[in-house]
Amino acid sequence: MAELKLRAVKKMFGATTVLQDISVEFAGGTVTSIVGDNGAGKSTLCKTIAGVYHPDKGEIELGDLKLTHLGPHETREAGIEMIYQDLALAKQHDVISNLYFGREKTRFGFLDQKAMTENAQAVLETMGTKLPSLTKPVGLLSGGQQQAVAIARALLFSPRVLIMDEPTAALAAREIEHTLDLIKRLKERGLIVILISHRLNDVFAVSDRIIVLRSGMIVADKSVHETSMQEVVAQIMSA
Amino acid sequence: MFAKEFLRDINKTSLLQCIVFLLAMCLFFALNSSAFISPINLCNILTASSVIGLMAVGATFVIASGCIDLAAASIMALSSVTCAWAAQNLHYDGLALVGIAVATGALCGLTSGFLINFTKAPSFIITLGMLSISRALAFILTGGIPIYGLEERVTKIAEMQWFGLSLPALIMLGGMLVGYLLLTRTRFGAHSLLLGDSQAASEAMGLRVPLLRLAIFVLAGCFSGLAGFIFMARTNSGDPSAGMNYELTVITAVVLGGANLFGGRATIFGTLAGVLCLGVLQNGLNLMAISTFYQTLFIGIVLILASLLRRFGPNNG
Repeated sequence: MAELKLRAVKKMFGATTVLQDISVEFAGGTVTSIVGDNGAGKSTLCKTIAGVYHPDKGEIELGDLKLTHLGPHETREAGIEMIYQDLALAKQHDVISNLYFGREKTRFGFLDQKAMTENAQAVLETMGTKLPSLTKPVGLLSGGQQQAVAIARALLFSPRVLIMDEPTAALAAREIEHTLDLIKRLKERGLIVILISHRLNDVFAVSDRIIVLRSGMIVADKSVHETSMQEVVAQIMSA
Repeated sequence: MFAKEFLRDINKTSLLQCIVFLLAMCLFFALNSSAFISPINLCNILTASSVIGLMAVGATFVIASGCIDLAAASIMALSSVTCAWAAQNLHYDGLALVGIAVATGALCGLTSGFLINFTKAPSFIITLGMLSISRALAFILTGGIPIYGLEERVTKIAEMQWFGLSLPALIMLGGMLVGYLLLTRTRFGAHSLLLGDSQAASEAMGLRVPLLRLAIFVLAGCFSGLAGFIFMARTNSGDPSAGMNYELTVITAVVLGGANLFGGRATIFGTLAGVLCLGVLQNGLNLMAISTFYQTLFIGIVLILASLLRRFGPNNG
């Protein structure tokens, strides 16, 4: 069942068209990778889905809900989470603050630290993530641990759509393997996973479908079984 | 509750250095002046710190959010003037005057916050403008002449005492408590700190940054307004030149207490410690009969020393 739909989405920054006539559907329980050269519009497309940017034309829908003019707060409430390339963490804050960033639990109007800590520990355990301390500033954690925090934050409120922008770019080999395993598990849980990556090995390892963007347009949209790494590279590079 | 938070804050910020510094100063002044350690004098320090302390609570939120407010003292002066004008011409007193002072401050804070959001200019620039505008308005309203001779029922507020503490000192401590609860126990406080830590992340996580910033400046304005009321009650006047250069003293107190000037880290315990550091220093130097010229010199030296001390702390940022 197609849950997330984009219809004729167009996005311009000033006079520059960054996304042009993007129409695509994403089904639950699938991993779709969006690949393309720098400036192809991958991050803009994902940020438009996440509500960071509003499309100039076109429609975005999640199930029956129209997302087209919603901001990041509302799209998160609707079940769309994005893990940004820079992870969007508050580095001076501890793990708990980052996990509940913008969606803190309250009780009688006051922060419910106890509930947040207990819930956070449970989510981290489910993910198999071990952190040295939940009260340590996130900036003092390793790159992999910081990413684990960003992923845990995205999963904390059981999202329907998870968008990951270059999740393996700054990770060591073992951490990459862990992240790819996690993506597979999320797919099994029925999430729509959208992955942006320059690392085609990772893309082919976890994706069901690959979309190639060039100059803000979709130039290829194929099942991973119907294409090859060489073909994808050729589609990314061909002028 | 407070003890646990206090210990956490000590661990997280440079609060420990500030407290060590405060205690060292207290010891020094106690050894040099027998009057320093008397309960009356210690209460005097709190009373004298009340205006700066209240402004510093608001400034804590502004600095926590990564902004700076240079207009705090001018807003305080304008509030004291509007308050004194209302007391003299409308014969208001008590809570009505507090309301006028706080409303004046809130309006100024709202203007600052709106302009920062609308122009996307640095808060430094906008509040520098508001500093001039508020001060100018205070002078225009009074014609440059302070409003003196307020009725006794207005000024007696400053002389009221409970539990040995003056009402201004109690209001400051109450303001600190409110600030503490807001900063540590509410979404508003958490979001203020998160905004200061990373504006980009805050936007990405869906915080309504313009609205949040507006609320922070309104809050800071309210505290400046309340400080204006205290100033009026303590000096029996609405003085347009009140609190010249206090804006820097306020920022110094907050940063001395371990706040990161670039945002993301601030505590009310730290701000209280910073305010007391400055209060103790000024009081101690007065008791030692040091001339005001030298006092300014000493305050400068002490601040630099305190900043150097922070470099050796657990969080030298």
